Amino acid sequence: MNKYALFLGCTTPTKVLQYEVASRWVCKYFGIELIDIKDFVCCGMNQVNLSIETGLLMAAMNLALAETRGLNILTLCAACTGALAEAIERLEDKATRDEVNEKLRDIRLEYKGKVKVKHISRVLYEDIGVEKIKREVKRDLSGLRVAPHYGCHYLKPRSAFEEFEKPDNPKTLHELISATGAHPIEYETLGLCCGGKAFPVSEDLAHSLVQKKLDDFMNKEVDAMVLQCQTCYLMYSDQQKKIDEEYSKYNLPILLYPQLLGLALNANPIKELGLGLHRISPDKILAKIT
Amino acid sequence: MNKIKKILELKNPVSISELDPNFKSEVIAHPDARGLAACFSCGTCSAGCPIHEVFSEYSPKKLAKMVRLGMRKQVLSSPYIWYCATCHNCEQRCPQNVSFFNVLNVLKNMAAKEGYAPSAWVEQTKQVVKTGIVFPTEENWIKKREELSLPSLKEDHPKLKKIIELTGVNKIKPRVDKE
Ligand code: SF4
Ligand code: SF4
Repeated sequence: MNKYALFLGCTTPTKVLQYEVASRWVCKYFGIELIDIKDFVCCGMNQVNLSIETGLLMAAMNLALAETRGLNILTLCAACTGALAEAIERLEDKATRDEVNEKLRDIRLEYKGKVKVKHISRVLYEDIGVEKIKREVKRDLSGLRVAPHYGCHYLKPRSAFEEFEKPDNPKTLHELISATGAHPIEYETLGLCCGGKAFPVSEDLAHSLVQKKLDDFMNKEVDAMVLQCQTCYLMYSDQQKKIDEEYSKYNLPILLYPQLLGLALNANPIKELGLGLHRISPDKILAKIT
Repeated sequence: MNKIKKILELKNPVSISELDPNFKSEVIAHPDARGLAACFSCGTCSAGCPIHEVFSEYSPKKLAKMVRLGMRKQVLSSPYIWYCATCHNCEQRCPQNVSFFNVLNVLKNMAAKEGYAPSAWVEQTKQVVKTGIVFPTEENWIKKREELSLPSLKEDHPKLKKIIELTGVNKIKPRVDKE
C-alpha cells in the first residue's frame, strides 16, 4: 500500500481548495493513503529571497517532521516539490546537514537524510502507472483537446529530478493526460513560466507572461489547460480573468490534473472534484464529456 | 546618426571611483555563487529568460557582468534583481554551469541585509512566523474547508517562529523607494 505525508503548502489549502479536494479523491480511488501532518509549514521557497539559509531550514524542518513518522512526502504544488527536492539534495552533504541539524536541535528535530518527495502527478505516473489509469477510465474524454503545463519547479532544478524526467522536453504529463482519453496538444510556449513568483513584485510582468502563453492557444482549438500546481492555476485562471476584464479575449477553462483524471473516473464534478469553485466556468468542458 | 549618438551617450555613466573592487569576491565567496567566476558573458542566460523576453532591461547576463565589474550599489539597489520568476532556465542552459539563479539569490540576500528588499517578501516572512504559511487566517477559507469536510489547518507554529528568529531574517526591513 502506498502511504505518504500530504504536503499541502500555503496556497492550495487556502485559495485553491478544489485542487486539494480532487487530489484527495484521486488518491483514495487508487489506494494511496495520505497522512496529514498538522505541523508542516511553508516549504521555504519564497524565504530564499531574503535568506537562503532560512529557506533551507524551513524545508529541513518539514523533511524532519515527515522522517520522524517514517513517511515520504507527496506534494501538490510544483514549487514546494522543487524547494523540498532541492533541500534534500543540499542536505545530502554531511557538513550542510550538521549545520542545519544544529539549529533544528533547538526545536527538537533532526533530519537524517532519509525522506523522498514526490509530486502527486509523479506518484500517479510511477506508483500507479499510465496503463492502470487507462484501464480504470469510465467516461469518454476523447472530445477534449487540452494544453498541458508542467510548472517550472516540477522538474527543476534538473539535478534533483534527473532520475524521473528531464525538463527540456517533458512527456509525463502528456502521457497522464492521454491516459484519461483527452488529447494533449503540442505548442510552442510549453516551457514558458507562469510568472507566479514574479507576481508579488511585479503584476505587469507576470501578466505579460500569462498573456504570452494564452495567446499561443488562440486558434488552436484548445478546450482547457491542464496544470499540476495551484500557483500556475491562479495565474492562468484568476489572473486570466483579470486580464479578460480589459481585453475579454480568452475565457479558457483551467483544470488541475487530478480533476481531469477524476472526470474520467466518473467522480462527482462538484462534490468530489470541486469544479464549482472555478472562476472560469468549466461547463464547456463538461458538455464535451460523455 | 542622431540615433547612434544617443546610444553612445551613456545615461548614467559609472565612474571608476564608484566601483567596489571587492564586490565580486564577496559574492563569489558564497558557495551558491561560486560558479560566477566562470561566466564569459555569452548571454545564453538572458536569451532563455522569460522576464528578459517581456522586459528587455532585465538581463541576467548584464547583472552578472555588473557584479564582475564591481558595481555594488547599482546591483544591490536595483529593483530588477527582484523580478526573477525563479524558472531556473538561466541555470539549465548556461554553458559554464554558473547557475545565475543561485547567484541572484545570493545578491538578493545581500540586498535585503542592506535594506533593499521589496515589502512583499518582507511581509511574507513576517506572516509565516504567525500562521506557518504566507497568508493570514481568513474566515472565508476556514468555512469553506469545513463545508468541504477538509481537515482544519493548525494556525500556531511556535517551532517555526523559533528557527526563523534564530536566522534573524524576521528583522529585515523593507525598502523605502524615494521618488
Ligand atoms: S549563460 Fe552563463 S556564461 Fe553565459 S552569460 Fe549567462 S551566466 Fe555567463
Ligand atoms: S530563473 Fe530568473 S533570471 Fe533565470 S531565467 Fe528564470 S526568470 Fe530569468
